[in-house]
Formats: sequence, structure tokens, C-alpha cells
Amino acid sequence: MAGHINPESRSHDLFTVVLGAFAAGVLISSPWQVDTSGPYPFYKGALIFPLLALGLMVLASIPSALRMLNPPEGTFWRIDGEGVPSKTLLVFLLLVAFLAGLPVLGLEISSILFLGITLYYLGHRSPKVFIFIPLILTGVNYILFKYLLDVYFPPPLLYGFFGG
Amino acid sequence: MLAHLHQAVSATLTFGNLISLTFGTLVGIVVGVLPGLGPMVGMVVLLPFTFALQPDVALSLLLGVFCGGYFGGAVPAILMRTPGVPSSLITSFDGFPLTQKGQAQTALSAALVGSFGGGIISVIVLMFLAPLLAHVAASFGPPEYFGAGLFGVTLVVMAYRDRLAQGLLLLGLGLWISTVGIDGPTLVPRFCFGTLAMQNGLHLIPVCLGLFGIGQALVLVERKILLNESMSLTRRTLDFSKILGALRYWKSLLKSGLIGTFVGLLPGTGSILASFLSYETVKRTSKHPEDFGKGTPEGCLASEAGNNAVPAGAMIPLLTLGIPGDAVSAVLLGVFTINGIYPGPLLLVKEPVLINTLYLSMFLINVVAFIMLALWLRPFAMIVRLPNTLLAAVIMVLSLVGIYAVNTRLFDAGVAVAMGALGYILLRLEWPIVNLVMGVVLGDILEERLRESLSISGGNPMIFLQRPISLFLIIMTALIVIVPLLHDWRKRVRGAG
Repeated sequence: MAGHINPESRSHDLFTVVLGAFAAGVLISSPWQVDTSGPYPFYKGALIFPLLALGLMVLASIPSALRMLNPPEGTFWRIDGEGVPSKTLLVFLLLVAFLAGLPVLGLEISSILFLGITLYYLGHRSPKVFIFIPLILTGVNYILFKYLLDVYFPPPLLYGFFGG
Repeated sequence: MLAHLHQAVSATLTFGNLISLTFGTLVGIVVGVLPGLGPMVGMVVLLPFTFALQPDVALSLLLGVFCGGYFGGAVPAILMRTPGVPSSLITSFDGFPLTQKGQAQTALSAALVGSFGGGIISVIVLMFLAPLLAHVAASFGPPEYFGAGLFGVTLVVMAYRDRLAQGLLLLGLGLWISTVGIDGPTLVPRFCFGTLAMQNGLHLIPVCLGLFGIGQALVLVERKILLNESMSLTRRTLDFSKILGALRYWKSLLKSGLIGTFVGLLPGTGSILASFLSYETVKRTSKHPEDFGKGTPEGCLASEAGNNAVPAGAMIPLLTLGIPGDAVSAVLLGVFTINGIYPGPLLLVKEPVLINTLYLSMFLINVVAFIMLALWLRPFAMIVRLPNTLLAAVIMVLSLVGIYAVNTRLFDAGVAVAMGALGYILLRLEWPIVNLVMGVVLGDILEERLRESLSISGGNPMIFLQRPISLFLIIMTALIVIVPLLHDWRKRVRGAG
């Protein structure tokens, strides 16, 4: 079971401040992000609601920002004692590579590679799992999306490269 | 009326709809049985497939997952004290002690009867209450809709008031996400950061799929949520005599089903509260309250009837006001709007066949889930042995390919991956993600109604206080903020004193 989440961890405040700072940045730049030169008065315009939403975000992050500047005694960064999620981070990077590989390698090759490498890395060393499951799932995806749902997947760039 | 009902029966009993609701229920039970997944993950993974389906068939599929998930959640709660869905935790209070006494069949039968009864009761309440509420909502104008939306999001935020700042922050983020892209009334691009792809906006589907599908899969990579203990199930199916035996608690079943429906009706309250309130009420009124917590089938039945009544309860504000009560109903709202159907008071008048099909499908889903679990109890229970890392990898691939397939845009898949990272952090920090989803869903409704209201009043915000229903909703919103905060403050002052 997961470790107990500590609500007092400073990580909560840090992430709150990160989101609050993002909102503040967008709020300040919003007159340049939204064209307000239209004929409507402000209350009918495109900016009023985003300003309210971003303002809410900034306001909600102020208590955490103050705590970050002046942390109460005895606080710490630990979230749940599970350590740095290095495994998750690597799987996430593999997922990003899978996404980037879709237009380059195509659905089939990138799916097989992602599943095979991920399953092997996560401890499934039996060929039945890290070879056959990727093949089966890719087959299912192919039938489901390309054949039954007729979804268009662009021809892999790699084929074009080799094909001239 | 009868003609509509006849058409609805025909639509419900079409081969496509029956297959869809059966498959949805099957997936629902599987994700419900697997601790750490739950109906939301099942729904978002299946979401891309719904675009190729008729609206009624698509809704049957997702409702199957929604209801089936609650059915399945009780199985590991009873057999392993590991709830498949969070609300099944209450079921484990009595279910696991019964399993330890060698009476797993009794506990599972009571839970199954509870789930079935709660589901059916709530659908009946939905059928009667929805038209009444729709009748009231028919007099709503933009200020009233804005008031109702505000009331809904406030309830959700206050439901997680121990994380108030984070809840507000996520709500704000969700509301802001809903504004990205081309603004409908003025046709000006907003927050596109100079990119063409952003002009289409950040849609609910990649956002939900990322937050719940990919985010939860990333959590599964490291956390050992599943317990692979041996399970004491001697029979493949449920014992029919035990099912009949559970029916002697029919009064508790009725009470719990009604409590669950009304809790489900309120936005942000969730199924845990429904389970807990039902359990506590039945315990208080039981002839043997001392047995609760030590292993009584009545406890399993009450808890499951409470949580299984939530899906139909949550459909009431969704269908009549267009306001979803939780993240799962928010996804259903997405399916409606993508198909050009806008839930609200007129939906019941404009789409009577669809609504009746939906009611009948919900009935059937409960019947199908009951039969499936009664007949294939052991195979379903064995699903918990699936390694979570394998599930995680499969969910990630299905989610990404699925989201690409919706609009054949890699940008949406990129949004889902980014939201997956955010979802992972939020799940790890245990922040209320539901606030973010509610913000994305209700953002459009709130903004549209706010701008319409201000246009009607010439920019005067007092319009919200000048109309009786809107004023009532604003007062209620203020009360649900002030009363709990005042209560917390008093408790703190007393504690300090």
C-alpha cells in the first residue's frame, strides 16, 4: 500500500506556488494573449472570465507562497516516504518517446517497442510477456482502430525516408 | 408518451445497444475489481471508441462501466479488505470479517443484492424526479443557470475543504483551460501562445484521459496497490440461497438506495459519503447494531446499495440542469455535447426517446452486472492477480492511441501526455482532481451564462440578486461556504481553548 500522504509537506506548497506563478504570468500577459479590440463592452468580452479564473488561482496560491517564504518549524519536503519516482519518470519518458515515434515509426512499430521495453524494464522478463503481449495488443489496436474504426494514421516518416 | 416508451424499448433492445451495455458492464466490473483503477479509468479509456457510436449506444457503454465499476468494487473489499473503488471501503467493514469466518458467499451475496437493489431504486427515483426538476428548471434564465453552476462548483470545492486552497487552485486551472482556444461569441483566439493547434482548445476528452487514464497508470507503475493473497472462494458462482437470504434486509435496502440517490444528486458529495451515510443509518436503525463492524451481511448490503445508487442520482442534475455532480458525470456530459445534445430542462422534452432509452439501459445494466457477478464470481475475483505494471503499460498505449483516433491529431495525444504528468503529480499529492475536471466542464457553461446575464443587465452584476431563484442559489452557495468554515473555526477555537 502507498505510504501515508503528509498534508504538511512543503511539496504541496511548492507545487501550489508553481501553479500560482504560472497563473500570475498568464494573467499579466493576458492582454497580449486575447484580442480585446472588439466592439463589445468589457463585460461581454472574451477576457472577463479568464481573468476571474486566473485571479482565483493567484489568490488560492498566496497562503502557500507566504508559507514558502516563512516556513513553519518542523516542516519537510517528504510527501509519502516512497522516495524519488525514478521508475515512473523513466516510463513517462518512454511514453513521450512513444508519442514522438508514432509519426516517425508508425503505430505498429512504436507500440511494440514501447510495450516491449516498458514491460521488460518493469520486471516482466518472460518472453511470453514482453514479446507476446506487445504483439497481441498491437494486433488488437490495428484491428480496432485501422480496420474497424477506419482511423487514418499517417504513413510513417521512416518509410518515406527509405522509400525515397 | 407511450409511443416514446415503445421507441425507447426498441432502441434499448437493439443488438448494438445490448452488446454495448454488456461490454461496458464487463469492463466496469473488471476495473472495479482491480484496486487502483475504478470506473473513471475504464470510462476514459473507452471514451475514444464512443465517437463511432450512436449517442444512446455510447451512453449505454459508458453507463455500463460507471455502474459495473461499483458492482465490482465490493469483490476485493470483501475477499481481501482492499476496496476496488474507494466507496467499497465501507463494505469491507463487515465483508472481510465475514470472509474470515468462512462466510464470503454470504457477504458477497448481500453486497450483490445491495448493489442491484440500490441501482434499481435509484433509476426509479431518477425517472420520477428528473421531470419534476426539469419542470422547475424550465423557468431558468442565464442568471439562474449561472447560480446553479456556481452552486455546483462550490459544493465540489467545499467537499474537499481540508484542501481548500488546492481545490480552488485546481478549479481555477480547470476554468482557465476551458477558455483556451477560439472564443465562440467574439471569434478571437485566447491563450493560444501563437500556435495554430491551440486554437481548437484543450478538449475535455484528452484532459480527462490524461489526468485519469495516463496519470493513474503512472501511479500504478510504482505503487504496489494490488494484494495477491489467496482467496477463499470455494464456488465458481454465487450460492442462490444466500442471495435469497439477503432479501430479508429489504427495508435496509430501500433506505440505503434512497440515501445513495439523494447523496448522488448533490454535486461533489461522492459515493463514499453515500456508502457511509447508508451504512450508519442502517446501523442506527438495525435490531442488532452491535453486529456492525464484526461481520453482518446487512452492513455489506447497506454500503453497496448506497454507493450503487449514486450513478443514477448523479444523472438527475446532469440531465435536468446540464450540471454534472462529479468527474464521471462530467465525462458523460462530454459525450452528450459532442453528439450535439445539450442536457438541460428541455432535453426531456426534445429527446424523450433518448432519455427513456437511457433509463431502460440503466435498468438492464444493473440486471446484467448482477447476473455476470453471480455466475462468474471466481473468474472476476481472480482478476486482482493481474500485475499492475502490465495494466499500466496497456492503459497508456490504449489511452494514447485512443485519443489520437478521436480527431486524428497528435496534438491531442500530446495534451493527454502533459495532463498525465499533471495527473500523476496530483494523484501523488492526493489533491482533489475532480475540481480540475469540474472547472473544465463547467467553465464553458459558467462563462456563457455570466456573459449573457451581464449583457441582459447592461453590465450590472446585481442581476444575480434581483431574480428569486438566482438569489436563492447565491444564498445557498454563500451558506455552504460560510457554515462549514465557521464550524471549523469554532472547533479550532475550542481546541485551542
